Amino acid sequence: MLLIHCPYCEEARPEVEFVYGGEAHIARPVDPSTYSDEQWEEFLYIRSNPRGRHHERWRHTHGCGRFFNAVRDTVTDVFETTYKAGEARK
Amino acid sequence: MVEIAEVAVSAAELKLGAGPVAGAGVTLSHAGPPARYSLRARDAKVLSDVIGRALPGKIGDQTDGVICLGPDEFYAILPEGTVLPRGEGLAVSVTDVSSRALGLVLEGPAAISVLASGCPLDLASMKVGRATRTVFETVEIVVWRESEERWHVEVWRSFATWLWNAFVAAMPGAHG
Repeated sequence: MLLIHCPYCEEARPEVEFVYGGEAHIARPVDPSTYSDEQWEEFLYIRSNPRGRHHERWRHTHGCGRFFNAVRDTVTDVFETTYKAGEARK
Repeated sequence: MVEIAEVAVSAAELKLGAGPVAGAGVTLSHAGPPARYSLRARDAKVLSDVIGRALPGKIGDQTDGVICLGPDEFYAILPEGTVLPRGEGLAVSVTDVSSRALGLVLEGPAAISVLASGCPLDLASMKVGRATRTVFETVEIVVWRESEERWHVEVWRSFATWLWNAFVAAMPGAHG
């Protein structure tokens, strides 16, 4: 079983306690009413989908309940690091 | 001709046991009806002053029945009839959730293996007095290691019947 280090619990915990939350560091529109259709498309649907290092959000749903960010390799499924939500991109 | 026994059990046939069930090296019983509180606050100091109790400082720690589940979330399992002040006007949430969950107790040297049959945590390295939210199969539970061989499991009421039967099924030599 994959173990994921929760930056809030400060422990490696079983993967089944977590839920994947999509790509991280996608900023919401500051002023949504000024957004064009193309900008909405970009914000809602366009993701980087890299082969390799991927910044993504996870939630420790069946634990502390917190969202945090992780860097995972999409080829090897190895977690490079995890860090608290709000911290700078690693 | 080989007779095939029916093994499928419908949820309606499952019963929540009332009394203790004993297996080899493990007993399953109810923890009794305590007062349960869900406590939320960004600032733990304010919450601590409102309820007049010390709060555990780290996630997974437990102090006198108050468990730190998350950075701003605590769960209190207190003696029946305990009433906590609600702290009106302050940025805290003190909610009585006594009827939301049931407490089951697994006790004995084999209790850890019954729990481990469905819980993916590293239970052997969990220190006595620690408590955490986790899962048993797909059911969310709160596990509190009260002593070396005594495990308190909090489960939401609607999942309790299933969990009780899952524990009995995992207990060697036990019949519900």
